[in-house]
Amino acid sequence: MMDDRVVELHNNESTPLLLVEDEFDMAQEISLALQQQGYAVQIAETEGEVLAATRARPPAVMVVDRMLRGTDSLAMIETLRGQGNRVPMLVISALSSVDDRILGLKAGGDDYLAKPFVMDELVARVEALRRRASDARVTSLKAGPLTMDLVDRTVQRDDKLLSLLPREFNLLEYFMRHPNQIITRAMLLEDVWHYRTLPQTNVVDVHIGKLRRKIDAAGEPSLIETVRAVGFMLHVDS
Amino acid sequence: MWIRELFRSVAFRVAAVFALVVTASTCAVFAFVYWQVATSDLARLRTILVDEATKAAVEPTGNVERELARRLTRDLRQVEYVGLFDRSGAYLYGNVNRLPGMPIDDKAHLVEMRRQDTAATEPVIFVAVRRPDGGVLLLGRSLYEIYALRRSVLQALAIGILPTIVLALLTGTMLSLRASRRLQAIRDAINRIVRGDLRERLPVHRRPDDIDEVVRAVNLMLDEIVRLMEQVKTVGDNVAHDLRTPLSILRARLERGLSSPDKELRLAAQKSLSDLDRALAMVTALLRISEIESGVRRGAFGKLDLAAICRDVFELYEPLAEAKSVAMRLEAPSPVPVTGDADLLREAVANLVDNAIKFTPQGGAVMITAKEGPLVRVADNGPGVAASEHDKIFKRSYRSTAHKNIPGNGLGLEMAATIAELHGFTLRLAGDMPGAAFEIGPSERLKAAS
Repeated sequence: MMDDRVVELHNNESTPLLLVEDEFDMAQEISLALQQQGYAVQIAETEGEVLAATRARPPAVMVVDRMLRGTDSLAMIETLRGQGNRVPMLVISALSSVDDRILGLKAGGDDYLAKPFVMDELVARVEALRRRASDARVTSLKAGPLTMDLVDRTVQRDDKLLSLLPREFNLLEYFMRHPNQIITRAMLLEDVWHYRTLPQTNVVDVHIGKLRRKIDAAGEPSLIETVRAVGFMLHVDS
Repeated sequence: MWIRELFRSVAFRVAAVFALVVTASTCAVFAFVYWQVATSDLARLRTILVDEATKAAVEPTGNVERELARRLTRDLRQVEYVGLFDRSGAYLYGNVNRLPGMPIDDKAHLVEMRRQDTAATEPVIFVAVRRPDGGVLLLGRSLYEIYALRRSVLQALAIGILPTIVLALLTGTMLSLRASRRLQAIRDAINRIVRGDLRERLPVHRRPDDIDEVVRAVNLMLDEIVRLMEQVKTVGDNVAHDLRTPLSILRARLERGLSSPDKELRLAAQKSLSDLDRALAMVTALLRISEIESGVRRGAFGKLDLAAICRDVFELYEPLAEAKSVAMRLEAPSPVPVTGDADLLREAVANLVDNAIKFTPQGGAVMITAKEGPLVRVADNGPGVAASEHDKIFKRSYRSTAHKNIPGNGLGLEMAATIAELHGFTLRLAGDMPGAAFEIGPSERLKAAS
């Protein structure tokens, strides 16, 4: 499974992505950023174009603006889901209230990002959606020297058992489920700690620091890299 | 309990006053009747008696006797007393054989008299008049009937007034209970609306009356408020969209600038981005505060445990405190159940803890407490809050001049205060020696209102 993922990473060229955005400049910027990651981006501006595009060639991921030509596109998302469309979908929206977010997820979006966003955040989330595997029921994870038993909730580095606090375990599990993939601080806060907003702090970094001290071997580069201003990545050589 | 409620009810007070007025006016009528019977009739009787006696006294004796005889034969009720005496006071004629002990002065006097056929006595008014020949004419009238009438009037008064009072009070109580039940229902509905359920409307009665008209007017007003709020939200959403989309584009372009080969351009882009982000964070926080203030979030309230929330925040911040060599302790031994929004309460506590850690110097201590009340207390032994700044710290964007070098947008405390208020709590500064202590606890204002 791990090998497949690494192969996929190099094969982004073949990954079709449907961007539903009627704001030309916005569409251009997003498309540019995603193309740099190797996605084949197709832009749709109306519901008709979306339906045609999804029928012709089902994309691997969809990025949908919540507002299209002044109307709420949640109805369109519901229609798509109603027709059996299961393509992972990131909803981007200028509406940032909690209720708007909940509505977006209820309608069938898999993730919700409020405008304006950091482009790397969008790219990281698209990447996470693309690789979202249906592995919710696996009992163990493996990443490089790390082996995680999800039933006993134990982690080993090579043969050595690591002692992690429950929260540290959850944090590491998140990284091991998304190896070689940029994980942003916001993603960690939302998915591991279930916070949506937090006063500006380096809380996440401190937790990562503690985790690193427990899982890293002395004298070797850390398994969890810091990626520029964006976030972190569990780096695993295949 | 309901009796005290009853006395506080306006309707009951009106009914009580009404009962009082009815009772008083009934009493007045009875009193007049009684007075009429007791005094006026008696006075009239006295006048007539005196008049008759003085006129009869000057007639010749034969005429007087004939007149007295006629008076006695017509008196079937046996209320008349007559007597004729000679100069020496000896009996000449009549049904009174002896002068009663009273002056002979042409005036009416009240005398207890034995009835002719019984042993009982009765009150009688007599007038004795001296005749020209020196004899005395005595005329009297029994007051037996008048006294009987007086008694029955008194009885009627007693019997009549009691039911009047009871009936008036009973009717008043019933009416006021009904009215207060309606008012209670209206008050409950208003409380639900105040708590944020704007779909709630005041109950409308089946039979339209004046209260109903007010209720309908208030409901209309609520409809209008909701409509305006939705309008404002729509406008706000559109503004947000119209503003955020170009800002997103701007941000994306600046981000691209970061990878420019020109170093100066890269630096400019970097600075612009951080300025832009700070401004955006501020706007986002302000939008969220107004969203929370609007109270719409109350719809998503559920049962939760404040102690667990404090534990969550403690876990999240403990490594940060440790990294700063601040000893952080948690005291939340037992569950503290409250109704609210877990995400928001966690955010409020996180803001307080974040602040506490920020403002506590190395080697300091932060203490988080959650206990029944419900009460959350975040105390530190940092520099505390200067007395001159007590009033200012909860104000929008206030940052102590002493901490200009510590990052933050100054909205943390306001956010925490807004969230506390949404839950009917208040955020207050609870003593600052040593360090600062912030408490989220029940609001005195709301307690008084409910």
